[in-house]
Amino acid sequence: MERGLYIAASGMVAEQMRQDQIANDLANASTPGYKADRVTQRAFADLLLSNTATGQAVGGLTMGVAADRMVTDTSPQPVRDTGEPLDLAIVGDGWFGVQTPQGTRYTRNGQFTAAADGTLTDQLGNAVLGSNGQPVKVDRAGHVNAAAVGVFALSNPAKQGDNLFTGAAGGQAAGTVRTGALEGSGVDPARTMVDMIASFRAFEAGQRAIQTIDESLHKTATQVASPNGGA
Amino acid sequence: MLEGLYSAAAGMAAQQQRIDGVANDLANASTTGYKHVRVGFRDLLYNAQGGSAGPTVLAGAGAAAGFIGRSQGQGALQTTDQPLDVAIQGPGFFQVKRPDGSLALTRDGSLRLDAQGRLTTSDGNILQPEITVPRGTSADKVSIAGDGTVRVGAGRPLGRIELVTVPAPDGLQPLGGNLFATGAQSGQPTAAGNDTTLRQGALEGSNVDVGDAMVDMIDAQRSFQLASKAIQMQDQMLEIANQVKR
Repeated sequence: MERGLYIAASGMVAEQMRQDQIANDLANASTPGYKADRVTQRAFADLLLSNTATGQAVGGLTMGVAADRMVTDTSPQPVRDTGEPLDLAIVGDGWFGVQTPQGTRYTRNGQFTAAADGTLTDQLGNAVLGSNGQPVKVDRAGHVNAAAVGVFALSNPAKQGDNLFTGAAGGQAAGTVRTGALEGSGVDPARTMVDMIASFRAFEAGQRAIQTIDESLHKTATQVASPNGGA
Repeated sequence: MLEGLYSAAAGMAAQQQRIDGVANDLANASTTGYKHVRVGFRDLLYNAQGGSAGPTVLAGAGAAAGFIGRSQGQGALQTTDQPLDVAIQGPGFFQVKRPDGSLALTRDGSLRLDAQGRLTTSDGNILQPEITVPRGTSADKVSIAGDGTVRVGAGRPLGRIELVTVPAPDGLQPLGGNLFATGAQSGQPTAAGNDTTLRQGALEGSNVDVGDAMVDMIDAQRSFQLASKAIQMQDQMLEIANQVKR
């Protein structure tokens, strides 16, 4: 009986994590180059139940669910024109490389700006790398040569925050750089809202299961073995 | 659980900042030489979550917005036929001296003559290098060529309006009154290239596109609403969790 309590609670915990991830997606609905996440869930190991009298196997019982992994959808998103010469977007696959104090990081958010020494930097002042691995220069008129900006191939990208990803770089990618445009956020508001409602109802169902089990336990404790049947 | 509440709240704060930027742009839709702001977005730190789940599930902390500078796009030229209105076509700024002696940059070219005949901006900041028109000259007689050479009628040049640029216009500090100060973030001013020209009898309008600004505002408002829904949902989940024990 108590097993059911913990199984239902594990479902509620997993849905909480999903909600946290959905809240983060919705908060980034306007972040250019943002990639939406998904939390996958997996069942805990099965427990084999057997008949207490005969020892015959009854079947498996799962011990609940756990949030397993976060999967990031890195597919390219539609690009919109902004007309700003330092707004860059990659059409197709590939990543911008930026030089951070911790090493090279990758991003799809091309909201860049110029530094005082004339290099192209991201919002946090990290230099944007060209295809030759050197920082890209902004010309006197405030433009950059799109062909000089590096588009890197990246395997196993992992989110690091501040639009940056880590991963194993593997040469040039097929995407092309467009100036005066930004890649939209990968958050689909409609799908995310539906996910949010579905997750919410699953959470609610977990609570109902706990309440039902609780009621049964209450009856067991107060009515079973009561002389007047608990009335 | 509470992470989600704060991530969504961070998203709302970011949209609020964007709305502030758009509101300022719309308020300056008719300001001479005004350049609209660029609002940048980024996601925040990711924290590993859940003991049993292992470190592979990350909870993001929401979004942040920041002003990453100003658009340097050309504003539309408005013909005023005032002889001392000068519009800059191309990148560059007028350099002016403020009353406290410090230098500032501006693209607002509604010039006038002060009591000593010097060319100044409408606020009285003196154009650098100083150009003095002989006393008693009517403003109608002043001619300003495309390269900045100032003459009276067909006379000899009195001086030249020199335009400057900085390596990082996004790093200029706004001083209000259409003025900007240079600093370590913007780099030192240098002479603008020959492709920048002046046009007498015109002013550069604001480069705020009211249509774009309105669309931005609607987008920001809806994104704000989306994040607020996430907060409501998290709140309801907390309520449900509280009802587990009746």
